[in-house]
Amino acid sequence: MRKLTILCLLLAGHYANAQELFVMTEPASKVPAGSISARIGQSLMKEQFDSVYNYHMMPEVTWGINKDWMVRATALSNRNTDLMTEGGGLYAKYRFLSADDLHSHFRMAAFGRYSINNADIHQEEIETMGHNTGLEGGIIATKLISRVAISSSVSYEKAFDNKPDYAFPKGQASTGINYTLSLGRLMFPKTYTSYKQTNINLMVEFLGQTLAENGRSYLDVVPSLQFIVNSQARIDLAYKQELYSSMLRSAPNGVYLKLEYTYFNLTN
Amino acid sequence: MKTLIYQLLLAFATILPAAAGYGQIQKAEIVATGLTCSMCSNAINKQLKSLEGVDKVETDLNTNTFTVILKPDHAITPATLKNSVEKAGFFVGSMVITVSLNQVVPKDNATVQAQGATLVFVDSKEKPLQGETKLKIQDKGYVTQKEYKKLQKSYSKYSTYSVENENDFHVKVI
Repeated sequence: MRKLTILCLLLAGHYANAQELFVMTEPASKVPAGSISARIGQSLMKEQFDSVYNYHMMPEVTWGINKDWMVRATALSNRNTDLMTEGGGLYAKYRFLSADDLHSHFRMAAFGRYSINNADIHQEEIETMGHNTGLEGGIIATKLISRVAISSSVSYEKAFDNKPDYAFPKGQASTGINYTLSLGRLMFPKTYTSYKQTNINLMVEFLGQTLAENGRSYLDVVPSLQFIVNSQARIDLAYKQELYSSMLRSAPNGVYLKLEYTYFNLTN
Repeated sequence: MKTLIYQLLLAFATILPAAAGYGQIQKAEIVATGLTCSMCSNAINKQLKSLEGVDKVETDLNTNTFTVILKPDHAITPATLKNSVEKAGFFVGSMVITVSLNQVVPKDNATVQAQGATLVFVDSKEKPLQGETKLKIQDKGYVTQKEYKKLQKSYSKYSTYSVENENDFHVKVI
């Protein structure tokens, strides 16, 4: 525990000055009310037992309903070489606490997701964003101090049958607890001169899951680099690496490229 | 008897300020809180620009200050501006409005009508105000949460201060 604390402190020190538009996780803040953002998430993951790479594509549309609520619809593509729709999901987030000061804030939010997926279930990891039909619900806390952002979340995830063809495997744990820790730092610019300036953020995120029925777990680390162009578009580059795992996972390691564009005040 | 005099005084105090005058809000300087990224700032910038009655918005990205220049005869109140910032997902840390005034003495509780808003003077020097005057709004939601806690104590003498009223703005001359 002491080692972990020291590690966290070191990272917090090193990554002090961060932003909270994380690549893998959601902060407690949300998109502006009336804005719509379109995102295309792409990933190339290496299969554990073959030297094969899986390509996934995940288009998303996010809408800020008002100052506290946002919703998101996601489509999931097939993991095989032909791009086919594998499923989709709906996500909602509600910000219930904001304690803001001049250059800092502490915020908390609750979120829920429901996803459907028709792919075969080939791993123990539960992932409603890409592998399982299921539900996820949790809370997020985000602290921003000057240019430093630290965010953490805990959620409950439950997998069901991947209808119509794939029942959830008997004897496999269908309930998981997820936990994340994200740290980020604004690298550039040191001083702002205009909205046209490209912002560069460096982030590191830890993603973990423990299965409720058998206690198996994993922990991944995801370093990422983010470019914010024209204060309106995002380019995220990330690499996910498994740190440890006691469960069967098909393709935990790989790279992500996410592109996002925000249309401000579309529905005001 | 004591209560009667007190009540009469109170009644007098509430009638008197109505005469203080009229003004027009020309400009508002807003410092937004809880953000440090240019994309967040842009969200506020676009929200403010989309308001009817806003002529232009100038921003200082390093201090998160938005200077909102208003058109003549606009119908914007400080509450409209605050709601815009909150819609973008952030909060107002400070709002200073520039109001044109004509021989107004900013006595405690004296009021000025500015479009749909009632400005109530607090904590100001009783020196007649003429022309463009900068007024800092001291109400909840217009100062940081920490500042509001302090003001709540020091402004306990103003009976209307802690009453939440969207169209009443307690202002201090700066």
